[in-house]
Amino acid sequence: SGPHFYFFFGSPYTSYLLPLLFDFWSVQSPAGMALSVLVVLLLAVLYEGIKVGKARLLHQALMSLSISTSQQLIEEIDQSSSSSESPAVSRTHLRWFLCHFGQSLLHVAQVVIGYFMMLAIMSYNTWIFFGVVLGSGVGYYLACPHLSMT
Amino acid sequence: MGHFHHVGMSMGMSSGDDNSTMAPSHHHPTSSASHSHGHMMMMMPMTFYFGFKNVELLFSGLVINTAGEMAGAFVAVFLLAMFYEGLKIAREGLLRKSQVSIRYNSMPVPGPNGTILMETHKTVGQQMLSFPHLLQTVLHIIQVVISYFLMLIFMTYNGYLCIAVAAGAGMGYFLFSWKKAVVVDITEHCH
Repeated sequence: SGPHFYFFFGSPYTSYLLPLLFDFWSVQSPAGMALSVLVVLLLAVLYEGIKVGKARLLHQALMSLSISTSQQLIEEIDQSSSSSESPAVSRTHLRWFLCHFGQSLLHVAQVVIGYFMMLAIMSYNTWIFFGVVLGSGVGYYLACPHLSMT
Repeated sequence: MGHFHHVGMSMGMSSGDDNSTMAPSHHHPTSSASHSHGHMMMMMPMTFYFGFKNVELLFSGLVINTAGEMAGAFVAVFLLAMFYEGLKIAREGLLRKSQVSIRYNSMPVPGPNGTILMETHKTVGQQMLSFPHLLQTVLHIIQVVISYFLMLIFMTYNGYLCIAVAAGAGMGYFLFSWKKAVVVDITEHCH
């Protein structure tokens, strides 16, 4: 049986599910099916978490860097130093660069997981579909309260 | 090897016109004598694979057959994903800039006891036919089209092309969001 283009529930007679995303991910039993649904569910939760995590990382970096830059300004006014690039400033730049690099990695993970979820839903297996939808809901529910930061 | 599926579809076809969009190498030619049944075969990978032989990319006629062509396609997809991220951030910046303009409209309004009050309306945002809004709409259309192209490219399940999409998105985010983040930093610092 080839790929379906309508929603269906997997059954023992159709080997539950065609290989999902990767060759090794083939499902032969109800336990395997349940495990696959759990994996996609956790992927969806992770996706929502990454979205909130990126925003929090940016906010935390801005908070810490604005504090440190104002401290540097106070130091420079006190010392009346004429050097343009003090070590403290370059340290700030490095920290900002690392933070932004970390955010870019998170962004790559978000893009890849988003596409994986799209491809999982494209299998048209209704259990997998429920797993992704439920995982998105659970992930949003768990992650979004962390968005309001103090 | 990736997991490929042959979707055999038999339908009544009078001519081979419908086969023009299919891959020529998997096309069963219908004989001109029998018009009752045509047979179309479609190769649709359903798992990730790495390869560069006979990779169809978005449009018919755009087929990758050699490593050199795959390298070129990798660079093109990488740049397309980078451009998509840049477009997203450029639109955000344009929107923020065009919404700075605030219009105040004052109009006299009859108040209690026969006095005349001045009512002031503040409108923030864009008019429908203003140039910034039209530009935003055009950019939105371009962004939607590119996002669907990237989705279709990822749907080819080709490992090289998928890596190009992800890496391009990451590099685009890194380069363009850096500038945006710095701008946000300055404005938030002044509060």
